[in-house]
Amino acid sequence: MQIQTANCLHYGVKTGIFALVTYSGKAKDVVVLNDKEVQIIFRDSISAFDGVKKEELAEKGIINCLTSVKLFEILDEYGFNTHFISKISDSKLLCKKVTILPVEVVCRNISAGSFCRRYGFEEGIKFKQPLIEFFVKDDEHHDPLITESVAVQMKLITDNEAILMEAITRAVNEVLLKIFDLISLQLVDFKLEFGRTTEGQLLLADEISADTMRLWEKKTGEKKDKDRYRQELGDVIVHYKDILDRLNSIQKLPNYKPLSTARVIIKLRKSVLDPAGEVTFRSLSRKGFKRIESVRLGKSAEIAFNAVPSSELQTEIEEISAKILSNPLIEDFDLTIRHHLEKSEKEHVKEE
Amino acid sequence: MRIGITKFPGTNNEQDVLRALSILDVKGELIYPWDDKKLENLDALVIAGGFSYGDYLRPGGIAAQSPVAEKLIDFEKNGKFIIGICNGFQILCETKILPGVLTTNLSTKFICKWINIKTENSQSPLLQNLESIIKIPIAHYEGRYYHDSNGIKKINDDDSVAFRYCNEHGEITQKSNPNGSLENIAGITNTKGNVLGMMPHPERASFDYLGSDTGRQIFANLIEEIKC
Repeated sequence: MQIQTANCLHYGVKTGIFALVTYSGKAKDVVVLNDKEVQIIFRDSISAFDGVKKEELAEKGIINCLTSVKLFEILDEYGFNTHFISKISDSKLLCKKVTILPVEVVCRNISAGSFCRRYGFEEGIKFKQPLIEFFVKDDEHHDPLITESVAVQMKLITDNEAILMEAITRAVNEVLLKIFDLISLQLVDFKLEFGRTTEGQLLLADEISADTMRLWEKKTGEKKDKDRYRQELGDVIVHYKDILDRLNSIQKLPNYKPLSTARVIIKLRKSVLDPAGEVTFRSLSRKGFKRIESVRLGKSAEIAFNAVPSSELQTEIEEISAKILSNPLIEDFDLTIRHHLEKSEKEHVKEE
Repeated sequence: MRIGITKFPGTNNEQDVLRALSILDVKGELIYPWDDKKLENLDALVIAGGFSYGDYLRPGGIAAQSPVAEKLIDFEKNGKFIIGICNGFQILCETKILPGVLTTNLSTKFICKWINIKTENSQSPLLQNLESIIKIPIAHYEGRYYHDSNGIKKINDDDSVAFRYCNEHGEITQKSNPNGSLENIAGITNTKGNVLGMMPHPERASFDYLGSDTGRQIFANLIEEIKC
């Protein structure tokens, strides 16, 4: 990669300015302040198609910065862990220092963008269940789609991170759908980036703004996001500003009861004889199921938490599983953490 | 002298233990799961058998999380005596006060019968003056003592095996092993010897009319030790 001067910043270029290390992306600069904190500066640059199309739009930096602040504050309110600490100025944020994971997560409620190009599907198909896609952050290869198992195999993320990233993204989607619905906007899709702290905590990072999501006017379907720039629809800043104004007009955040579930499978260790499994095996063999090699019986526990998915929750579930649900002398456990779809209003009423 | 006998939901042997103590002129007192503060004033605790909390999770698994169980480690550290019988033994293993674990009988059957055990350890004061072969009943579904090979080696090296299942001649044979316990282990002590866990029921072998009174000596030893 070619080293650029500080004035002409490209993604991933590292320059030393006044002894502070600066990383520059396509629309933001990151200044490392110390071991724990960075400053993120939003610039007025806008680009599309991996930087092929780019421009400067006055006020864009400030608007995206303030939109991100607003959305991070909202997510924080609902219990998500984000890198956001505080606002330094209208275009500067103080954030926790993280290592950005090389995989980003896209959540789609309605078909649009690269999804339609990739499969030839038409835009505007509403999905029954939100779709989750993983992409490698790699401009050179045009941010290719990657399956979870490849991302884990290639050690881009750990399997725990993959599970948690998906669960967090689904939970964020539920919150954002409610928020934007409140201000008459349809959340079509969005992208999330994650970072890892030195302690291994997973945080929502980067920005969340009209640059990283698609928003359509609920009534008319008018596009209000970065597609205005990509598709030359004009008035980019007008619409970006309108989104921010609407977000700022929210008086009271909608109710949201977070629900995460963990399924823990407790198995007898291979080295321990399982008489009950053995009896079941013999009974099945007697019934004529000839292909069975062995049977091991175990237990499973489904635990519901009144919290959004997070690293802390994962640690807590591991502790519960290792210390109480299983006896490590004879048992092993597998666990998965999932974000659970919020119950419909109807079901809440029934319970009451 | 104050000896507590635990009563968790599902414990069903506490009356038998009270009776065995009363024949030795000691009035035991029941200790409920939430009586953790009462432990300070006790000289010893007998964790009676039964099916605490319905054996949910694992036998003893839930009782080991109770307020009383949380105080057991300090209780033991202070040198006070604990005897865990059957489910009590399972609880002691679940709290890690005793090493190892008790899991499903190899036969996958609930076994309720008279068996013989041989006293092994001579260090623990709780095991003094016992008959070398004790006729005693067992009643359990999950009594198969298990530990990994290092763990088994350690309890042998530490002389922590209290009893092994044997035949009426005192021979430790595979046939006399009712549940598949490793090395016929029926009971163990901690290294200090103030904690004893055993699957067989000494309180049900404390009266002649029950068929044997050879188990009574364990309670007599406990009382003698507290008096000293």
